[in-house]
Amino acid sequence: MNQILLQSVWLVPCYPLAGTVLSALWFPSITRLTGPRPAGYVNLLMTFLAFLHGLFALSATWGQPAQELFFPWLNVANLDLTLPLQISTLTVGATVVITGLNLLGQIYAIGYLEMDWGWARFFSLMALFEAGLCALVLCDSLFFCYMILEILTLGTYLLVGVWFNQSLVVTGARDAFLTKRIGDLFLLMGVIALLPLAGTWNFGDLAVWAQTANVDPVVITLVGLALIAGPMGKCAQFPLHLWLDEAMEGPLPSTILRNSVVVASGAWMLFKLAPVLALSPVVMSALVGIGAVTSVGGALIAIAQIDIKRTLSYSVSAYMGLVFIAVGTGNTEAGLLLVLSHALAMALLVMSVGSVIWNSISQDVTQLGGLWSRRPISGLAFLVGIAGMVSLPPLGSFWALLKLADGLWTSQSWLVGLVLLVNGLTAFSLTRVFSLVFGGKAKPMAQRSPEIHWLMAVPMTLLLGFTLHLPLILQSLNLLPAWADLNKEMALLLVWSSLAGCVVGAIVYLGNSVPKPVQFPLKGLQDLLTHDFYTAKLYRLSIVFGVNIVSRIIDWVDRYIVDGIVNLFGFVTLLAGQGLKYSTFGQAQSYALTIVFGMFLVGWLMTRSP
Amino acid sequence: MLSTLIWLPMLGAALIAFCPIRLSRWAALAIASLNLFLTLLLFSQFDLSQTGMQLSEYLPWLDSLGLTYRLGVDGLSLPLQALNSLLIWIVIYGSDQKIDRPRLFYALVLIVGGGIAGAFLSQNLLLFVLFYEVELIPIYLLIAIWGSARRDYAAMKFLIYTAISGALILAGFLGLTQLSGASSFDYAAISSQISSQNLPLNTQVLLLTILLIGFAIKTPLVPLHTWLPDAYVEASPPVAILLGGIVAKLGTYGLVRFGLQLFPEAWSVVAPGLAVIGVASVLYGALTAISQQDIKRMVAYSSIGHMGYVLVAAAAGTQLSLLGAVGQMVSHGLILAMLFYLVGVIETKVGTRDLSKLNGLLNPIRGLPLTSALLVVGGMASAGIPGLVGFISEFLVFQGSFPVFPIPALLCVLASGLTAVYFVILMNRTCFGKLDNDTAYYPKVTGREQVPALVLAALIFFLGVQPSWLLRWSESTTNALTASLPIMENQVEQQVAIVYPSLPVQQ
Repeated sequence: MNQILLQSVWLVPCYPLAGTVLSALWFPSITRLTGPRPAGYVNLLMTFLAFLHGLFALSATWGQPAQELFFPWLNVANLDLTLPLQISTLTVGATVVITGLNLLGQIYAIGYLEMDWGWARFFSLMALFEAGLCALVLCDSLFFCYMILEILTLGTYLLVGVWFNQSLVVTGARDAFLTKRIGDLFLLMGVIALLPLAGTWNFGDLAVWAQTANVDPVVITLVGLALIAGPMGKCAQFPLHLWLDEAMEGPLPSTILRNSVVVASGAWMLFKLAPVLALSPVVMSALVGIGAVTSVGGALIAIAQIDIKRTLSYSVSAYMGLVFIAVGTGNTEAGLLLVLSHALAMALLVMSVGSVIWNSISQDVTQLGGLWSRRPISGLAFLVGIAGMVSLPPLGSFWALLKLADGLWTSQSWLVGLVLLVNGLTAFSLTRVFSLVFGGKAKPMAQRSPEIHWLMAVPMTLLLGFTLHLPLILQSLNLLPAWADLNKEMALLLVWSSLAGCVVGAIVYLGNSVPKPVQFPLKGLQDLLTHDFYTAKLYRLSIVFGVNIVSRIIDWVDRYIVDGIVNLFGFVTLLAGQGLKYSTFGQAQSYALTIVFGMFLVGWLMTRSP
Repeated sequence: MLSTLIWLPMLGAALIAFCPIRLSRWAALAIASLNLFLTLLLFSQFDLSQTGMQLSEYLPWLDSLGLTYRLGVDGLSLPLQALNSLLIWIVIYGSDQKIDRPRLFYALVLIVGGGIAGAFLSQNLLLFVLFYEVELIPIYLLIAIWGSARRDYAAMKFLIYTAISGALILAGFLGLTQLSGASSFDYAAISSQISSQNLPLNTQVLLLTILLIGFAIKTPLVPLHTWLPDAYVEASPPVAILLGGIVAKLGTYGLVRFGLQLFPEAWSVVAPGLAVIGVASVLYGALTAISQQDIKRMVAYSSIGHMGYVLVAAAAGTQLSLLGAVGQMVSHGLILAMLFYLVGVIETKVGTRDLSKLNGLLNPIRGLPLTSALLVVGGMASAGIPGLVGFISEFLVFQGSFPVFPIPALLCVLASGLTAVYFVILMNRTCFGKLDNDTAYYPKVTGREQVPALVLAALIFFLGVQPSWLLRWSESTTNALTASLPIMENQVEQQVAIVYPSLPVQQ
């Protein structure tokens, strides 16, 4: 039985894929007959099946060695594209997390999108993401992972664009697609260039190859940099971070999954590629550099945002930056743990925020307030989310960050300071949001704001429970360090940084000592952070401007020079014809004259030559 | 069998010219369907393991001229012939039911179909030129009679360009036969003359250049492309499908068949230059497409870019890249046909092709939701999103060309990013956005009108998920083609490198 469950684990991505197709069947004409809801229910059922299958397979794979399954796809001209699936506790566990969060997210979506008519599109795309992510974690080949990531890029475009008649949604979808696609194409370049070097795309074989690889350092550096470009786009790292913030214009239930598991897809690629990336020290430093800039920058920008969704999106970038640092310094396990704990906590935070957005008039944090008494469940969920996000024992992120800081201490100790800083800043930023939304007195916009209905409350409370129980799960997986091995000084430092962030945040935003809205002494810096380092403007002035100008110039050249020369030829021919036609004016004498002249010419030529 | 594929449409055209007007559409459709069916039958008779010509047919004709009626099919021409039969069917089915002068229209389309089939199948150089020229006048008429406002200009431009292309090819073939001392224009005879070193390399390069220019006009490649945007835009959508979907493939087919296969040594001399021209076409097409305001023109320029991939792949000449080139020809035909068809539907229903006027067509009630959804599929297939047929061909082109021409291959990857840029512009403006209240309530797209795009979309999906159905036919032929090429230096490395660890398959 166990073996059957394991051998058929490839079905896990197939259930949601079937859901994608089934949901997409609700064309507008069918929706008019049945209403949009069946499209969502079908999908929910499929997700539930995937979750159950994954859960049973997880128990079957417990303590077993990893197995591989192979599916031949294309075998042409010495290129064997066989899809390898790896079935291990880690990969199956990851599918359980993905399908589980999806299950909760989809129930939440049924509540959240109660009034919406675009269910077919929305749920079919949600299922596409679920299928893609499940396939991604099971897949053991760089090439197929690239394919999946690229399909998900298209999925992001369509999912962000679900409410396509709003202009911000349209630009958000566009930017999401293009920035992710830039990353993907660099990844593709890396994928293509890696094959002649390594001769394989299978992660397992790549790791074996990397142990003994003897390659030109310049080449492998370029390949490595190309390979991390894909994850940079997915994980919303500087300078490809813009899309995550703009993607907030899409429906919120998709944000739950985007902020928790979809961004993690890039991190997953990094974990799989870690042995190859480690071949080049430059690539490793680049990972650390990108991660450091993004984590500090993201944490700071998050504090300066007033849109409740955006405050969270930049924290996601910041935490993914920490994951980049983890991979760049070889602390892959700590990175994985951080991804897991971040996923649960972030999903919970987004659910809580979503419940506020759903039936409040505004999503501007400065306009809300005093919701604690009106929405105790959402408030509690947000608090637990904060505790799960920042390093607060005994919840998940504490152990992940502790492991990371522990690993960094021996190699690059300055990064420990950075981790503490990011942790503190995130604590401050989340406390700020909590205080502004749930604390204080209700502002006019928050006067009528009752608690949400059960369809949203139930998944939220379930996730709240999971977040609280994460340490127990980690304990049972033997992922927590023994008390004796615990680096107590580091643990204390982490706890202090979290507490400092929370306390300062609470003093500033809950107390009345600081006038609201809070003005930072340096106006320029505050503006810089509010406008996300002016990234959008920079893009508009550089890449967008450049491509636009070049394409216009080439278009002009095409119209007036390349085509112009051709038309000039035609014009000259016509003109010549027009001119010459006057030579045939129909007078017999002139024809005779021409003949005589011609004869003389011929005669002269003939007599001249000998 | 092969003759039927050529003469069934030709004779059908004659038949239609005399049948009653109201029957003409059905008669044309019946002939096209029969033709498609016969082409499918051809697949069942095709032997995958054989590398050379199959199902050959031979009739002596004008022996004194060296002109024989010799036909054959191999892995290069089979997929293209299938594309031809399919698109002829799509063109006839997808044309307006109330079209002016239906008998002439359908007869001309069928003649074009038969002529292209003849060009793909003929194994005699002179016979190829005959068939190559046969479709010239019908297409001129198709553009000039059923086109839009500037149709005369476009048709004449097309005619002049293509006539020059035909003249160059004829000149090249004549010179080739004369100089190589071959006894006839038969492909095999000339090929054996060239391979037995009877022709100095310089002469080969010269002849090859003449032929390349001729085929480059047809493909078209930058800077010989300016007939294309005008012709595609001014032609009615079915004719644009015919032009972009299959007629242009004659150019790339000629490049491979009469360039690479006939002159393997000279080909490796000019290959680096060809790769540069190919990349220039790819980037030029993509960048020009970005700044277009007319969606049909945008699609037309995208076509220039996509044909450039074929040239880069052919220049690289590895097993993978050649296979990718054949795949790209077919997938580009399918995708371009779908895009032109949808653009045609939008133009008929909405009344404009202007990006600044189009908006919000994805609206489920008042817009054209299914057409817009299919447009997204088509655009994404063209941009090379995995799971659709465009991806696998482009990927094989990139991966196959990389070991030989790394920089051009990477530039092609970059250009596929630019492709995404203009398709996102196209979709954001056309499908997304708010539907204007004043112009809303467009006529519904009937089920019958959806069929061509749905058929093409199904194929694009199916071949994207199961690419071996696209590529298996050509593999042995393209492998044999590569074997005849002198191995370029870098390639040796690659052939050593791509030795896959054999994967143990678990039971």
